[in-house]
Amino acid sequence: MLTRELAIAEYKGGRVLPDRLGRTQHAGYLAYAERMLAIYRNGAGRTRRELHRGVQAVFADEHDCPMRRIGAFCKLLDDASRFDRDTRGRAAELRREVFRRAAAFHPLVAKADRLFEHEEARVKAEIAAERGTTWEEIDRHLFADVIEFHRLKTFEGFADGAALLARYNVAQTQAALFDAVEMTVWAAEDFKTILRYAKLARLMHSIRRAGDGRYVLRFDGPASVLRETRRYGAAMARFLPALVACRGWRMHAVLRMPNRAWQNRLQLTSEDGLRSHLPPPEEFDSNVEQTFAERWGGEPRDGWTLAREAEVLHRGQHIFIPDFVFQHADGRRMLLEIVGFWTPEYIEAKLKTLALFEGEPILLAVAESLTKSENGSAPVAWPDGTVFFKTALKIKDILERLGVEF
Amino acid sequence: MLPAAPRLSFSSGTLLLEHAPAAAVRKAFGDLPWVWDRRANAWRIDALEYAAVRERLAKSRLVCHDTVAQWQAVDWPQDNLQKLRPEQLAAVAAWNETRRAAIVMPTGTGKTEVALAIMRQMAVATLVVSPVRDLMYQWQRRILERLGYDAGVIGDNVFCVRPVSVTTYDSACIHMERLGDRFGLIVFDECHHLPGAIRRDAARMSAAPWRLGLTATPERSDGRHVDLAALVGPTAYEMPISAARGTTLADYEVIRIPIHLSPEEQARYDALSRQVRSYLIERRKTEPRYSWADLCGESGKDPAARRALRAYHAKQAVEDRAEEKLRVLEDLFRLHAGSPTIVFAGSNAMARDVSRRFLIPCLLNHCGKRERAEVLSGLETGVYPALAANQVLDEGVDLPAVKVAIVIGGTASTKQAKQRLGRILRKSGHARATLYEIVCADTNEERRSRRRRESDAYQGTRHRRI
Repeated sequence: MLTRELAIAEYKGGRVLPDRLGRTQHAGYLAYAERMLAIYRNGAGRTRRELHRGVQAVFADEHDCPMRRIGAFCKLLDDASRFDRDTRGRAAELRREVFRRAAAFHPLVAKADRLFEHEEARVKAEIAAERGTTWEEIDRHLFADVIEFHRLKTFEGFADGAALLARYNVAQTQAALFDAVEMTVWAAEDFKTILRYAKLARLMHSIRRAGDGRYVLRFDGPASVLRETRRYGAAMARFLPALVACRGWRMHAVLRMPNRAWQNRLQLTSEDGLRSHLPPPEEFDSNVEQTFAERWGGEPRDGWTLAREAEVLHRGQHIFIPDFVFQHADGRRMLLEIVGFWTPEYIEAKLKTLALFEGEPILLAVAESLTKSENGSAPVAWPDGTVFFKTALKIKDILERLGVEF
Repeated sequence: MLPAAPRLSFSSGTLLLEHAPAAAVRKAFGDLPWVWDRRANAWRIDALEYAAVRERLAKSRLVCHDTVAQWQAVDWPQDNLQKLRPEQLAAVAAWNETRRAAIVMPTGTGKTEVALAIMRQMAVATLVVSPVRDLMYQWQRRILERLGYDAGVIGDNVFCVRPVSVTTYDSACIHMERLGDRFGLIVFDECHHLPGAIRRDAARMSAAPWRLGLTATPERSDGRHVDLAALVGPTAYEMPISAARGTTLADYEVIRIPIHLSPEEQARYDALSRQVRSYLIERRKTEPRYSWADLCGESGKDPAARRALRAYHAKQAVEDRAEEKLRVLEDLFRLHAGSPTIVFAGSNAMARDVSRRFLIPCLLNHCGKRERAEVLSGLETGVYPALAANQVLDEGVDLPAVKVAIVIGGTASTKQAKQRLGRILRKSGHARATLYEIVCADTNEERRSRRRRESDAYQGTRHRRI
């Protein structure tokens, strides 16, 4: 991620427009990106400062390039690099030896006289000679642990220039979110991924269903209810790449500028062309689900239509998104959760969740292998009406239950 | 099912009150700003309010299961505290009136001893928050020395939480949402840092009922110091710097040495100045109100503006790293040979220049804990004759031996001046302390120096040409 100092954004009528490099408006940038990548790919052994100067030189004649943009590229490239950070403290050790040795000659004077006879150049040469090297060589390593003097070991980021530019665009949008006080996402699918990553970023959610079946997910943090706070802006920024990888969403964030009385807003949709470095969410959690959905097909059976992860059950900060929702033409609905091959802790958590949403029409399908008690542990008390399956969940069994449950 | 009993808990830097009807909350807490949080189905308030919440609960009939306080009593393994001086005892007594208060004492008058005495007395899990890592480690050493307790460290890439721990403001404000229920007493060293917009979360997200703020310079240029009363407590005790001068502290003088840029540097400085100025003049021909801010804003669109901005930074670097500073430094090292000396540089680059020219250690951000400790103790025991530092050392790191400090660059704030001065005024013997200030004449740096000396501590500055 970028730092606040590298953020670039335009403000138009209360809207924040993070810096965005487009294919037409910034046609030259693809070539710049490739050149920057070449500097890092061929840069092993060079210091961070040298690499950064190389990147600066790429933009020497470019009219449209703020200093911050150059800084941002350097940061993204550095983040994808491994530097020799001198973790074993060789530079510190060298300094200790050199400074201790030189202490006896303090002060090192430019020119010796009767009072002070230790000349800078001579002392340095002597110290170097004692170590069997030159002063230039010592000088080169004396501060090798300072960040700008770290030397590049390997660079393994970014498939091509386009990937670097894509990451830059996402990174600038992330940086704009550092000032965010709340974020609202209208989602039509991928709820599970969106909510899971929001939780990973330690955000709190408020969930509401819109008239059109979409969900309105509002994100902020614990203290947000006490006062408007930018404290959770960084969490929202961390969450953004996961959101960008999802489909069918629209996002609105409220931003508060430091020391300003007004608010700004940042708006974004899944169709705005941002590209995440994260892969899109997996369609299915497991083979069992995938096979079941494929066998069921797109047509209603006995009046029941199948939809994947289409409903979010929520109570406070607990959420439960069953794998499938069955919707009957006559308005009945049933939720199906498949429990495959998992650990005892997973099953325990799952049963707790089910207890929390007691009263919802949830049907469980459990792999038979889970019903056998292993290592003498107590058998799990599955709810009445649970469907068991061996390797594949049978449609017939489910339809049977759907008929009985009402 | 019976309705669940009201429950008070710590949650991410706030307090949550569950299963409590609105009427009961209003009756029990009246004026406290509880907010109903629909997301959690509970009442929420800043952890800062815990002392007040507890006090109200004790007086009310609301029976509430309170799980907030996760802190424990602490048994100090040793008690090697020094006998406090009368003004230190007065400070402790003043704090004890409310046990939530700030103490204002000049650097070098034993703030740390006062805090340690309070920690000994409270004998409860304690977190000490300091502005920089050096100070954090110094607190750790002092706690070990005086109370025999090996405190945990939170910060500097270490996360070791113990009932008594030390941390920095930045780490505290990041981690307090998880640690706010672990400490009964929280000590804010140099507490004028606390009221920053984000940093104040370090106080707000802590449930510690007992709070101690320590500072030599409570004022902030942004006026936010008034918030210290809510975040820590009112000022209970104040000892003015003039009272300390000459009695508890060594006497001191300030000597200002103007230098001039070398002909090459002056030429470069002037050329860069001209470049910046002529760009501005050129622009103002068509846009009379064209400002510095406009230039900064345009530097992205316009290579000429970008060049002007670069010229400005280069100009600053010329005065910061003027060669003559190194020459004057040599003279001062000659003059004070045998006296441990500290050089404060205006930038990391200049501190390294000094270090490489004189082969003396420099303390910069990259130095690890071990190197810092080695360098500081090396200066004290005479292994090293001098050291260079940037702002890393700006605040009360103990350097008892140092009698000579040389400032060769820095910002204009009076606070920094007081802190730098305070450091060389440690109580030790009767030797006078001297603070030198080397500034380029006829440049911005001189203006900064003038502003610096408006602080009362600098009264009596002498000018000297070398």
